[in-house]
Amino acid sequence: MRELLVGTRKGLFVLRKPSGSSGKGAFEITARAFPGEVVEFAMRDIRSGRYLAGVTHGQFGPHLFYADDPASSWQQAEGPAFPAALNTAVERIWVIEPGVGDGELWCGVAPAALFHSGDGGKTWALVQALWDVPERAQWNPGAGGMCLNSICPWPGDRNRLAVSISAGGVWLTDDGGKSWRRGVKGLVPRYLPEEARHDTHAHCVHHIERVPQQPSTLYMQFHGGVYRSDDAGESWIDIGTDRGLPSDFGFPLAIDVHDPNRAFVIPLTSDMDRVMPGGKVRVYETRDRGGSWCALEEGLPQSQAYLTVLRQAFCTDGASPLGLYFGVQSGEVFGSADGGRSWRTIASRLPPVVAMRCA
Amino acid sequence: MPRVILTGSIQQHVGGLGAIDVDGDTAGAVMNALEAAYPPLRGWAVDERGMLRRHVKLFLRGSAVGLDAALEHDDELHIVAAISGG
Repeated sequence: MRELLVGTRKGLFVLRKPSGSSGKGAFEITARAFPGEVVEFAMRDIRSGRYLAGVTHGQFGPHLFYADDPASSWQQAEGPAFPAALNTAVERIWVIEPGVGDGELWCGVAPAALFHSGDGGKTWALVQALWDVPERAQWNPGAGGMCLNSICPWPGDRNRLAVSISAGGVWLTDDGGKSWRRGVKGLVPRYLPEEARHDTHAHCVHHIERVPQQPSTLYMQFHGGVYRSDDAGESWIDIGTDRGLPSDFGFPLAIDVHDPNRAFVIPLTSDMDRVMPGGKVRVYETRDRGGSWCALEEGLPQSQAYLTVLRQAFCTDGASPLGLYFGVQSGEVFGSADGGRSWRTIASRLPPVVAMRCA
Repeated sequence: MPRVILTGSIQQHVGGLGAIDVDGDTAGAVMNALEAAYPPLRGWAVDERGMLRRHVKLFLRGSAVGLDAALEHDDELHIVAAISGG
């Protein structure tokens, strides 16, 4: 891993392990961009080396920028923006994800919509077919707005994609976005009255991840529930109930790209109390596809730590052993270089952390 | 020709200028002409619907106005960021 890109409510911070470091201690802040603005998401496309960031200015709205060096000048992309005829404006950029094709990127925004770029993120176009699904009228915004928050390409097949919407469920395409179908079978929206659950379209999916080595496997953090799909997102199996989690509410979820059986969540107490249970900071890991979960806590605060972590603020570096990193609303960043066995605080006193990605 | 006075935080999108003379007989026409002359400004004060962003104000002769406000040739139109945030 070269660096960590930390999107905060007051700009982007680039963190690097100090050169010659033994691996202990804080990372250094090597660059800061967009001071004072909310960096909702930032990532580096490893294919091109280009950095991309979704930034919301308090007065002047959301914009997407790209740069070859995060410490130098950023260029403003053309879009994502809705066609004028739709009389809709982008409210927030939630996620940017590399696609399969050359220069292909996807971007999820609020109000829930998907945009596509074929030129490395310089220009963006709305995926009209997803915007046009009739069920969109029945989607509902969550507390963070009605967002398209996760994008899962299928390695090697640019036609297959899964996206998740809060609260609009999982949507799947097999033809590059020309047509879409829902993938919500098995999800139980317990936040609705029982008699309203069957026909609802307001499935509040907080985050999904696809396992690259076994693309039919996806993991999901739901609004009250943790799920796995073995059929590429068509249906979902409860892996959060009575399996060792202190709560099945939370926002982010991470996977091990080398092990389809392994996933990580960071539970919060409940949707009515969005802090870590009991004031203990714990990441929970499954090594058996959700059959059981165990707490990872060594080096993390274990008392009086009522922290909140948001859905984009947890990432892995894809290395072996796996590096895991998450940032919290109180401005701390925690990291593990040994697959979660031990953790340390690698930054503190940052602004509230909104998003994190390894670059 | 009306003159547009830009708040500091968006001057970076018009080459660092704080005031620009722009032709147009309404605030909307002036904003359109300004964005045509400086494309990086597109989407900042006015969104893709053609609406003024919620936390952006236009002031003309001491009053907040909308994009339909009529301008005289010697008017100054101020683009102001609302006092909001956290």
